[in-house]
Formats: sequence, structure tokens, C-alpha cells
Amino acid sequence: MSEQNIIEIQGVEKRFGSFVAVSDLNLTLKEGEFFSLLGPSGCGKTTALRIIAGFQDHEEGEIRIDGRTMGEVPANKRPTNMVFQSYAIFPHLNVGDNVGFGLRKTKFSRKEIKERVAEALEMVELGGLQDRKANELSGGQRQRVALARALVMRPKVLLLDEPLSALDKNLREAMQLEMRRLQQKLGITFVMVTHDQYEAMTMSDRIGVMFAGQLKQVDKPEVLYSQPCNREVASFIGGMNFLDAEVTAENAETLEVNVKGLGKMEIGVNPNVQVHDKELLVGVRPEQLEISAEKPDGYDALVQGEVSDVAFYGESVHYYVRVDGLKDSIAVAVPNYFHTVDHTRGDTVWLGVQSASVIDLGKRESLGGDK
Amino acid sequence: MARVLRSETGKGLALSAPATLYVGLLVAVPLCILVAYSFWTQTYVEIDRTLTWANYQEAFTDPLVRHLMIRSVAIAGAVTLATVCLAYPIAYFIAFRTQKKTLWLLLITIPFWSSYLLRVFSWKLILGFNGVLNSALISLGLIQEPLTFLLYNEFAVVLTLAHAWAPFAILPIYVSLQKIDRSVLEAATDLGCNKLERFVRVTLPLTVPGVIAACLIIFIPTVGDYVTPALVGGSQGKMVANLIQVQFGAANNWPLGATLSLLAMLSVGCVAILFVVVVTALGRRIR
Repeated sequence: MSEQNIIEIQGVEKRFGSFVAVSDLNLTLKEGEFFSLLGPSGCGKTTALRIIAGFQDHEEGEIRIDGRTMGEVPANKRPTNMVFQSYAIFPHLNVGDNVGFGLRKTKFSRKEIKERVAEALEMVELGGLQDRKANELSGGQRQRVALARALVMRPKVLLLDEPLSALDKNLREAMQLEMRRLQQKLGITFVMVTHDQYEAMTMSDRIGVMFAGQLKQVDKPEVLYSQPCNREVASFIGGMNFLDAEVTAENAETLEVNVKGLGKMEIGVNPNVQVHDKELLVGVRPEQLEISAEKPDGYDALVQGEVSDVAFYGESVHYYVRVDGLKDSIAVAVPNYFHTVDHTRGDTVWLGVQSASVIDLGKRESLGGDK
Repeated sequence: MARVLRSETGKGLALSAPATLYVGLLVAVPLCILVAYSFWTQTYVEIDRTLTWANYQEAFTDPLVRHLMIRSVAIAGAVTLATVCLAYPIAYFIAFRTQKKTLWLLLITIPFWSSYLLRVFSWKLILGFNGVLNSALISLGLIQEPLTFLLYNEFAVVLTLAHAWAPFAILPIYVSLQKIDRSVLEAATDLGCNKLERFVRVTLPLTVPGVIAACLIIFIPTVGDYVTPALVGGSQGKMVANLIQVQFGAANNWPLGATLSLLAMLSVGCVAILFVVVVTALGRRIR
């Protein structure tokens, strides 16, 4: 990744009638970055991608790609290429002609096109399948053809619209790693739209989380996970137990809080949170809680409860624990080290919490549409 | 029997049986009779059933038959070309540029609400010596004398048939356009095509089946049409079907009529097959 900015988006807004699909989008991407736009369906992430590609006009704001303002530049003249969600393989052309489609418009000779197509197909591990018909391809192969067809154009930016959503789980996971490797090898900026948090986290250098047309937070995956800016982002990435708290004292880097159900503790100020209030929302990741039948030692807060549900996930076991005075039960994830399920429904258990794992999520009302 | 009916093949046969029977009795049998007639000869009052090639010899040597056959194919070709070229933009508009697809499709079928004969006759009223068009042009002062080249020639036949067959061209082309995945068109744009290149390299090749269907649907019945040429064609607009009709009617020479019918069918078949092969091959060459 270089320090060169490849995409600069400033104040872009897109409305469909009175519906605001994308609102005041500001984003700067570095050359060679793998960036994901993550959000639930209908949040405007695909619209944002289509605006970058030039398939969608926008009312306000400006987009610069590789230093050039894109305002009036039509989609066919932009230095971007796209991998479509449906892959959009040309059904009347074979694999080789699909991949070579864009090159035929360029100055390359037939021989050069042939070489580049072969090279691109090698790259996506479809070497030698030039003459295969479009309707004879499997889902995974179609995805690779779509990827090769876009990459063969050597775009400044590759745009990917939910590229893996049509594949089954195993293939999807294999493709995630493969696409990441490819991106690092080629050094091309990838902008991917996805609603799959794991996909975004495993592949991306940075992730932008979108809700209702607004980009809420842009950060590295690990920062999004440890310091989400509000409840929405926290709940969209990983699991999270939300608890109400009251701020008793505010220091420069820490907050002294009284967490409902857990008691008094001192937690770190989350730098991504914009507004703090006396009424605070905090969160604890299920895997950062200790659950035990006996009262454990060495925790900043201990609370007793009753197991209300047990869910076995294979690699981990999730326990849902009902605690007196709390509306929602607390989820605890325990890695499945010893192939045992230690607690059953109705058991009385102790929950241990370290104050370091309690995340400050800002003011409680942040559920709604504010930024 | 019950087991046969339950198997897939049995079900298929059972389902297609009524249609097969219907077609068999009403197409295959008359066709066989036609073939038989073409090898017989007409004496004044009855049919001589000794087999002979005489009718074919006559059909091949008579310059009138050859002339009418070529003219029929040419007129049908012109009608097909005109109709498809006019229909394609309309189909394109309905498929891509309007939300009111059902309304437009309904509007297109409106001509069918009146009879074919009436529609042909209306063209006579429009194009005639004292017709709508001439009166309008005269009253506007654009011409002094009525135009005479409007009616009773090939032009009138092509115009009338093109109008009559337009919906048959619009519908299959519309269906093939409608079937195109919109993201495929975006992919073409994404890969650098402008609108024209995209049309030539993606849209057109993907609608080749629709265009072929439209061409065949129009070309085949048009070659054999005799109502339109009889009503608006005059002497220079006559087609082979008019000659066949005469053989079965006034000339009372069924065997020759049968021969001409078969030859017309054969030439239509050949032209159609050639057309499909050539267009499909052309479609494949676009990359």
C-alpha cells in the first residue's frame, strides 16, 4: 500500500425521490488498499459503489480517481472495472472472448490480447479454459471469469459488488483468501461491497460501515472490533452484550462508571465515540467473559446468574445467562478446547468481567439516525 | 398400458397426442394429397391419375412462374426487412425505455381487434386515387393531381403487409430484449464500450434468436399471401399465391396448382434455412 490517494470522495449525496440513498459520503482510499463497504441490505453501499463506477449519477459532491475529477466522465471511460454480483458473464461468448472483451477495444494486437487473456486466466486458475462456453461454467468458475475479465483491463481500482455471495461457504472462504492474495500481488486498489462481516474482516485493510446511507465508521477491522463508534456498528460486527451504565466521574483517558448488573469500574475512553453522556452505553464481547460454576478469582466484576440457553457452534459454545436486574440475558462464548459443554440450562453460574474488556459506546440514544 | 402412461416418455406422448393427431390429420394428410395431385394431370373434366413429371416441367419452363416466384420471395423479403427494422426500435423502447410495458404491448395488438381483410381494405381507402392521402395532399395544396404510384403496385403490398405483421415482429424481439440481464449491459459499458458498441457487441447478438423468429414468422406466411396482392397489388403486385389460386379456381388445373404450391413451399423452406444458417453464423462472429 502506498501513500498515494487513489480515490477521493467528498460530500457525495444521492437521492431517489425523497429517499436519501447515500448521504454526505466522504472517503479517501490509498493506492493498493483493500477496502470494504459493509452494511445491511438497503444501506446504500451498492449505490455508493455504482456512483464510483459511474453507473449512478449523484446530486452533490465530487469524486476524484487517480487525481482526475470524475464528474462528467462516463462509466466506460473511468479507470475502474467491476465484478458484478451476478457476474454478468456474456452468455453468447466463450470464456476467452469474455475475458478479452474489453481488450478488443484497445490498441492491442490479436496476439497480445490472446496472451493477456491466457495470463489472466492462469492468474485465476482457469488456465486453458478459453474455449469453454459461458453456460458450461460452475458458479465458482463464473466468479473467476468475472474477476479475470475485470483484472485483465489493469484498472486503477477494482470494484466488487458482493462478489462471493452466490458461492457456497467452503468455496467462499477459499476465494476470500485467494482474492486477498491476488490483490496483494497485483497492488490494485479493491473496493468491495459486502453484507458479510467475516468476509469484510478477513479480506480488508480497512472497512467502512454504512447504515441508512451514512458512513458511520471507517477503520481497520481490529479497531472496528475493539472500538466501535456506536451501538449500530458494535452490533453489526461480531456479537456484543449491551449494558446500560452511569458515568460517575470523567477523566482524560478513563471513565468511572457504574454498570447495571456488573457494578462500579473504571473503563477506557473510546476515541471513536463523539459524544459522552452521563447515561452511557457499554458493551462486552461474549468471548471476553469468563463463565464458571465456582466463583472465579482475579476479575474486576463478578455477577451470578442462571443459564437460560445453550447453543453449540462446534468451534465454540454459547451460553445465555439470565442476571437479576438485566432485561436481556448475557451471551458468553467459550472456545471448545476440551470438547465439553460444561453448563446446562438452569445451572447457576458466575460471570467474570475484566474492566479492560468493557467497551465505551457513547451515549445511549445512539441507536437512531444521528452521526 | 397404465405403466406406459406413468413413465416420462409415456406422459410426453400422451400430452402431445392431441396436437400430433390434429396436425397429422389437417396438415400431413392434405400435404400428401397435394404431393399426389402434383404428379397427376387434369383433363377437361376429370383427373388423369397416371404419374408424370409434366407439371414440374411446365412450372420450371414457364417464365411467368419463375417471375412470380422471384417476385414473391423479393416482396416477402422486403416486407420482412422493413418490418423487423421498424419493429426493433419499438421493441427496444418497450423493453428498456418505458415502465408502462403492458400498456404498450396492448396498444401494439390493437390492429388485431379488426379483421385482416378490413385492415387491407383500409389501406386501399388511404392510398387510393380518391383516397385519404391524396385528398389530404390536394386540399393542403401540396399536389394538383392525385398521386397514382401509391396503390396497385409492389410498394402498396409491402406497406400493407409490413403494417399487418408488425406485432409479430415486435413481440419476439421484445421478449429476447427483455430476457437480457441488465448487468451484462453494464458490464459491456464497464469494459469500455460506448452505447453503439454495446448494442452491436452485446444487445444485438443476444437478440439474434428473437430476430430470426420474427423474420421467419413474417417471411413464411408473406410469401404465400394472396389477399393483400389481390386487393392492393394491381397487376405488378401479383404474387405466386395469386397464380396458385387461379389454378385451383378459374383455370381449373388442380395438379398444376398443387405443383406450384409445393415448389413455393420448397423455395420458402430453402430461403428460410439459408437465412437461419447465415444469420446464426454472423451472430457468432461478433465478439
